[in-house]
Amino acid sequence: MRSHEILRVQDPPLRPLLVKELWEILGGRALWTMLLLMCPLIGYSFFQAVSLYGEASGAGLQSQVLAASLSPLDGVLVPTLGASYVAVTLLFPFVAIRVLGQEKESGALRLLVQLPYRSSTLIAAKLAAVLVAWMLSSVPAFSALAIWRMLDGHLSAPETLNLLFGHLLYGLLVGAIALFAASVSESAATAAIVTLAFTIGSWVLDFTVAGHPGLLEWIARLSLTQVLRTFEQGLLSAGLVVGIGTAVCGFSALATVWMPPGVDVRTKLFRSLVCVLAAAIIFGLATQIRFSVDVTEDQRNSFPVADQRVLAKLAEPLVVMVHLAAEDPRYADLQRNVLAKLERVLPNLSIRLAGGWQNLATSAGEDRYGEIEYTYGGRSDISRSTSPREILPLLYGLAEVNPPAPAPGSDYPGYPLIAGGQLALLWFFCGLPLCIAFAWWRSRRLPANHNKLTKEA
Amino acid sequence: MDGVLHLASPDPPIGRNTLLPVEAACVSEQADDQTLLRVDSINKQYADQVVLADVTFDIRAGEIVGIIGPNGAGKTTVLEVLAGILPAETSDVHWLGRPLPPSRRREAMFYLPDGVRPYQDQPVTRVLSFFADVYRKSTDEITNTIQAVGLTPVLHKRVHSLSKGYGRRLLLALGLLTPHPLLLMDEPFDGFDLRQIRDIVGVLRGEAAKGRTFVLAIHQLLDAERVCDRFILLADGRVRGAGTLNDLRARTGLASGSLEDIFLALT
Repeated sequence: MRSHEILRVQDPPLRPLLVKELWEILGGRALWTMLLLMCPLIGYSFFQAVSLYGEASGAGLQSQVLAASLSPLDGVLVPTLGASYVAVTLLFPFVAIRVLGQEKESGALRLLVQLPYRSSTLIAAKLAAVLVAWMLSSVPAFSALAIWRMLDGHLSAPETLNLLFGHLLYGLLVGAIALFAASVSESAATAAIVTLAFTIGSWVLDFTVAGHPGLLEWIARLSLTQVLRTFEQGLLSAGLVVGIGTAVCGFSALATVWMPPGVDVRTKLFRSLVCVLAAAIIFGLATQIRFSVDVTEDQRNSFPVADQRVLAKLAEPLVVMVHLAAEDPRYADLQRNVLAKLERVLPNLSIRLAGGWQNLATSAGEDRYGEIEYTYGGRSDISRSTSPREILPLLYGLAEVNPPAPAPGSDYPGYPLIAGGQLALLWFFCGLPLCIAFAWWRSRRLPANHNKLTKEA
Repeated sequence: MDGVLHLASPDPPIGRNTLLPVEAACVSEQADDQTLLRVDSINKQYADQVVLADVTFDIRAGEIVGIIGPNGAGKTTVLEVLAGILPAETSDVHWLGRPLPPSRRREAMFYLPDGVRPYQDQPVTRVLSFFADVYRKSTDEITNTIQAVGLTPVLHKRVHSLSKGYGRRLLLALGLLTPHPLLLMDEPFDGFDLRQIRDIVGVLRGEAAKGRTFVLAIHQLLDAERVCDRFILLADGRVRGAGTLNDLRARTGLASGSLEDIFLALT
């Protein structure tokens, strides 16, 4: 006779849950359709990037100086993976939503939540499925990198891995937003609208308000598109990684809160508030983390090594007062060439925009407009330059230290390459789509235990 | 408890949200040792509309209980609140005399909703294997379940291509693969013909004989009369009567009345 005591399923096996999620994502057409659409998108971007890189390399092969400006990171990797970014922004939400939305629409969720798993385990398994989907959706991009290597193109491992890591975080972030959207929406269509409001909305935000001063600049920083920019510049920023990780965990936690149908809305709202507050605190802490690693081969985000060593020893606060409007191109130059590098190396740096919220039109007529004032150890000096060649000696003067001798032999050589990408087009327009179609057909096979069960039944 | 017949339970009503663990133990000792599940009070409303009003009943171990009522009576809502997948204003449930909060209901019972086609793009075998693997069931147990519900001809098919009847069988098979002592099933015979109903009733009877308990929400009174040991008559979100057919006949004075006659008399 059956026992009537309630069940305590100890450590329910995770494997069946993960396998189920994997089959669910492979069983739908959304993933395969996205993969097929990504083939020409990434293929053409790669072809264009290789062609343009080849044209620029023609001059680079004649001149060492021009060659030094040819980096595969900017010339090939970023544009090729940029196409992947577009696909992940526009198409990946439909794949990720399916992981939860399909179960919600079919009613299977009401069965799933009765299984002996915590809600957080169910969402974690779904996020794992989203990760697998992102890896599969990256196959066209990976194949582009492989072709680039076959064409004798140069790839710097740290640069490439850092960029791929950035795209992985972006994919997970979109996936977590999609899971949250699916958990709060009754239908997959509504969930898609909610997710696209995040992804395309932040895209629009990036286009419209980026480069504007003040509040608009702060709002633009919330754009998801900003997530990738730092990785594309070859920086691995601890604060950014923690921030994205927090956002992924936060949206996953919200999905965990909103998924179970047996909890009343008031309780869900309270739990959501706790999640949002916890995430906000971690975000706040993440903004204080300034540690970052310049993974670029040409160390474009850093001063020369000798200067870095000297600057790192400047213990007193350096105050930089910039008399430029935020949208002034000179400020952008100063930011990229000097200030961003100083922020990474100086332990105590304070940057102030003298104009505050003023714009270019209102502040350009001021007498001191264009000046940048550096104050260190009670001494100050003024410069209008945006080049480190002029500003670093100025800083050494203020700090009363000797400028370091330049280290020889550390110049970036550049990697010019003239290569034809026509064969790559054949791969992306024919070979890879056929492989994807074959993989889809294989995924439709019956499970391994089907014959055994049929025979015994 | 207006108008509710308590033919199954000899216990006095217990106040809502008042049981402490010690008191619960005392109630457990006093309770009929056959009472598996005791629903003290379920109240549920959407905005101003009362869907369930003080729904109270008992379930004994090993019986097949039918929650009977017309469409809109609140049968599905009772099952969903009972299973803990629909929040309610109050939902006081005791399992073997001990309070069972909604978050722990899935440890005692498994609910098979109406009209669900789980994992439609997957073959039937894979869906069955998933449930069997979660509960660490052997291949023999899976094949026994497949044979019992007659799923063999469609094992290779994808769930979305199953007929309504086979869809029901699949859901029943999933329920049978779970180890829960109580199965809640919403309209389990919808889509079956007479012969198929008899087959499935045989399966349920076999499981009940092994000690498993079933609560079925059925709107076809003829089907219910054929299958269930006891009935809970529900109308407009209220329990109008509960007991065996003979109990209800005695209550209504319809000595040879059918379930339909009794239902009409009580509602």
